[in-house]
Amino acid sequence: MKRLFLPLLLFIFLVFEGVAIELLPNNLVGDFLIIPHWVLILLIYITIFYDLEDTYHSVVYALIFGLLIDIVYTGTLGVYMFTYAIVTYVIHSLMKVLHSNFYVTVLAGIIGVALADLAIFVIYMVVGITDFAWSVYVGSRLIPTVLANIVFLLLLYPFIAKRLVNWKHEQLNGTT
Amino acid sequence: MAFFRKKRLFLLLIGIIVLVALIGYSLRDREELSTAEQFINDTVGWAQRAIHTPINYISTIFSNIDDMRNTYSENQLLREKLAEYKSLIYEVQEIKEENEELREIVDKMDSIRDYNPIHATVTARSPERWVEQVTINKGSQAGVKVNMAVITADGMVGKIQSTSQFTSTVQLLTGFDQFNRISATVSREDGNDIFGLIEEYDKESDSLLFKIIEESEQDLEEGELVVSSGMGGVFPAGLVIGKVKEVIPDQYGLTRTALVEPAADLYEIDNVIVVDRILPGEEEEEGEQ
Repeated sequence: MKRLFLPLLLFIFLVFEGVAIELLPNNLVGDFLIIPHWVLILLIYITIFYDLEDTYHSVVYALIFGLLIDIVYTGTLGVYMFTYAIVTYVIHSLMKVLHSNFYVTVLAGIIGVALADLAIFVIYMVVGITDFAWSVYVGSRLIPTVLANIVFLLLLYPFIAKRLVNWKHEQLNGTT
Repeated sequence: MAFFRKKRLFLLLIGIIVLVALIGYSLRDREELSTAEQFINDTVGWAQRAIHTPINYISTIFSNIDDMRNTYSENQLLREKLAEYKSLIYEVQEIKEENEELREIVDKMDSIRDYNPIHATVTARSPERWVEQVTINKGSQAGVKVNMAVITADGMVGKIQSTSQFTSTVQLLTGFDQFNRISATVSREDGNDIFGLIEEYDKESDSLLFKIIEESEQDLEEGELVVSSGMGGVFPAGLVIGKVKEVIPDQYGLTRTALVEPAADLYEIDNVIVVDRILPGEEEEEGEQ
C-alpha cells in the first residue's frame, strides 16, 4: 500500500501545476515566465533520499510523469519525458559521490531545474515552438524559474526528506 | 567499465530517437488525439476539476478584497452606464424584432451569427508558458469539436485545439501563430466595413496582428472594435476580438497592419462559452492556410 504513496504524490503535484499560475500574483505573471517544475523537484527528492545506488525508481517515475505532463499540458510528446529522465539520471549519478544532506539537496535542485529548463528551451527552439533570444530567455525565464522552484524545494524539505528516508528503509532494504 | 559506458551511450541514443519520433508524431497534423491520450486527459482532468474548485474559491476571496477597495468609484461609473443601457435595451429589442420580421420575409432563418453556446469551466492552465493552452471541462460528449471558437463575456479567448471525451484543450489567442487565421472585420455604420485577417499574436507588442486586405477610404482609428466576420467558415460572425491599439504600415508600405489588443483578459479566465456555429460552413477549415 505504501508503495503507492510516491506515484500518488507525483500525480497530485502534476495536477497542482495546472493551477499554479492562478496562485501567483498577477504582476509577477506578466513580466516573468515562471514555470513550476514541481514534479521535477519531487523527483530530485526521490533520487536523493529514496533511491539506493543501484535502483532507478526515480528515473522510471521521471519517464512516466514527464510523459503525462507532455500529454496533459503541452501536447508535444516526449520533451518533458526526455528532459526529466536525463536530469534525474544525472543527479542519480551525482549522488554516488555526494552525501544526501540539506545543502546537497539545494545544489541538486538548482542544477536540476536549470538543466531541465535549458534542455526544454533548446528542444522547443529546435522544434520551433519558441523563438526567444538566449539573453531574453536567461533573464525572463531561466533565473526566475530556478529561484521560484528553489523556494518551493525549501518549503518542501521539512515535510518530505525524513519521510522518504523512512520509506526507503521500509521498502527497498527489505526487498534487495 | 567500458561495457557500462557503451550501454549508457546506447540508452542515450535510444532516448533521443524516441524523443524525435514522439515529437514528430505529435507535431503532425492530427485529426484527433489517440485513445490513450484522451483517456489520460480525462483522468487528469477529473482530478484537476476536484482541485480547481477549492483553489478557485480561495483566489476569489483575495480578488474580492481587492474589489472592495474600488467599490465606491466603480459604483458611480456603473450607475451612469446603467442609465445609458436602459435606452439601449429598448432599441436592441426593436431592432431584433424588425430583423426577425425581415428574415421571415426573405425566408432565411439561420444566419452566420447564430450559434449554440456550450458553457464550460476552465480547470487548468498549462504550466509551460510557451504553450498557451487551458483545459476546460467539456469534451466531445458535450458536442465540442476541434476549431470551435471559445469566448468569454468580454470577447474571444481562443479556439479548441483538441478534444477528449470529457475535457478539451483551448489554444489561447496569445498562442496563435500564422497557421491560425481568423477572418475579421471592423464594422462601420455606413457600410464601409474594413475586412482583413487576424494573422498571429505578436509577443513584442503584446497584440494580435490584423492585416487589412481591403483598403477603405477612411483610416482606421484607435479604439475601434474588431469582430470576427464569419467568412472563414468556422467561427460565427460578430464575436468581439479586440480593440485597435495602433496602425502601422507593413514592411513594403502597400498594406497596413493594425495592432489589436484582445478584449478578453487572457490571464484570468474562469467560465467560457464554446461556440458551436449553427450554419455549417464550407469544408475548408479556418485552421488551414
